[in-house]
Amino acid sequence: MLLECIRSIGWKCNITRLITRLKEVIRMAAGKVPVKAVLIDLSGTLHVEDTAIPGAVDALKRLRHSNIPIKFVTNTTKESRRCLYERLIGLGFELKEGEIWSSLWAAQDLLRSRNLQPMLMVDDAALEDFSGLTDFKEEEQNAVVIGLAPNMFNYSQLNKAFRLLLNGAPLIAIHYGRYYKRSDGLALGPGPFVRGLEYAADCRSEVVGKPSSAFFQSALGDTDPAHAVMIGDDVRDDIGGAQALGMRGFLVQTGKYRPGDESRISPSPAVVCSHFPEAVDILLKECAQSGGDL
Amino acid sequence: MSLLKNSRIGGVLLDITGVLKDGGIAIPGSVEAVRKLREAGLAVKLVTNETQITRRTMVSCLVNLGYSVQEQDIVPPCPALISLLQHENLRPHLLVHPNVLPEFEAIDQSNPNCVVLGDAGDNFTYENLNKAFRILINMEKPRLFSLGQGRYYSDSESLMLDVGVFTAALEYAADVKAEIIGKPQPEFFRSALRDMGVVPEEAVMVGDDVVSDVGGAQNCGLTGVLVRTGKYRPVDEKHPTVHPDAIVDDLAHAVNLILKSRK
Ligand SMILES: [Mg+2]
Ligand SMILES: [Mg+2]
Repeated sequence: MLLECIRSIGWKCNITRLITRLKEVIRMAAGKVPVKAVLIDLSGTLHVEDTAIPGAVDALKRLRHSNIPIKFVTNTTKESRRCLYERLIGLGFELKEGEIWSSLWAAQDLLRSRNLQPMLMVDDAALEDFSGLTDFKEEEQNAVVIGLAPNMFNYSQLNKAFRLLLNGAPLIAIHYGRYYKRSDGLALGPGPFVRGLEYAADCRSEVVGKPSSAFFQSALGDTDPAHAVMIGDDVRDDIGGAQALGMRGFLVQTGKYRPGDESRISPSPAVVCSHFPEAVDILLKECAQSGGDL
Repeated sequence: MSLLKNSRIGGVLLDITGVLKDGGIAIPGSVEAVRKLREAGLAVKLVTNETQITRRTMVSCLVNLGYSVQEQDIVPPCPALISLLQHENLRPHLLVHPNVLPEFEAIDQSNPNCVVLGDAGDNFTYENLNKAFRILINMEKPRLFSLGQGRYYSDSESLMLDVGVFTAALEYAADVKAEIIGKPQPEFFRSALRDMGVVPEEAVMVGDDVVSDVGGAQNCGLTGVLVRTGKYRPVDEKHPTVHPDAIVDDLAHAVNLILKSRK
């Protein structure tokens, strides 16, 4: 078995990785599923607006000691990856920019992997996530990406998008929200415009953010969802979405959580805990129980 | 060309945009075709969801293209909507084309209790849609009226989004179901036929919109003919739910078919 483990992680391995792999194999033999990836929601889970959830900075440090790969997953319509990164660093969290997987980032990933040349209807602030994809001429465009871009949601831009869709361009929605809160009151989100274009061109959009399975899978990469955990405060978008893909959802009772949320989805969340630090404790205890005897 | 199943034809409804004209140009053969229908003694009405211009402007536009029409020959959705607003004491917030605002002059628009969407064209700005949305979302029982529910139409060979797209957007945003005035609403076809004194079973509708013109008319008991002009696209011939009684190249061919089918 030792040989098999060495082979599975390659000969050029270090002793730590070898031990980790050995633990996994033993746990699997014992019927336990080792955690190979943790996805963590941002707003409401790690922080609320400009305040970190108490204990969350330390909890993330503790989780890092387990060496389980981490990604931060969030639905965002205008904040670029760098902007999210700077906010988290400012709040004291330790992370790498590359660990952030936002719906905008997932959209650019999808465009690149399918070699698409988009018409981008996204906020100017979001454009930096799409470097190299922003300057296609109208006649070169073969996909439509819709985020939150009120200055582009007008008749002439929507007509352009519509004509691309009629030619078979895919419609990629960063978000399907009906409306959002603006300082001067409620305002239309991207959803109504996506819906309108779907009606016009008789097509269906691909929604790239949470709760779509494709979003969670793209954040996980090659990792089997059965070995992955999602920690979040939104019972439908975080927990329901992740569990639909076969991940385990840890619902935290902070942020947008409201009492009774845990019974709003079926199957219910794998774990319900009061906050992110507790979620980390449960995860680490699980790891210790299943593999700590080595 | 096989004949229409319907041989007792007393009246014909014609769509305007994409059948009589495309942009500012008469579709070749259509002027002559309308004249032939009239000469054969058939009642003719032009049923349109056009809400970018008034009936009067439409008449002068068609006359300039060589058609002989009068205002009473045209059935647009605005008059039907206005009588409904008056009947139900509704005060609309209007998101319509500026050209048709005069039609609503007599209607109280203060403190609105419903929203009316027409084909507002460039007036479909984010701020205007937002204004309509906020009125709907703040209503206890939101009411949204839509002048037609077209997806798109053809304007001088380029396809333009129609009112139905923005209606679908607001329906989703405010979680409301719009009430449609115009094609394909059955009452719209029926009222045009009543004016002509023709029953649906003896009427034919000719249009370039497979759903709104052809499907709408068929649902009402009329014979529906699709023309391959205007916004027509080949995929329309394989529509999953609407099967036109006939598909012809243009209005000239449709009229020949109607006259031949008639006993
Ligand atoms: Mg959240
Ligand atoms: Mg038409």
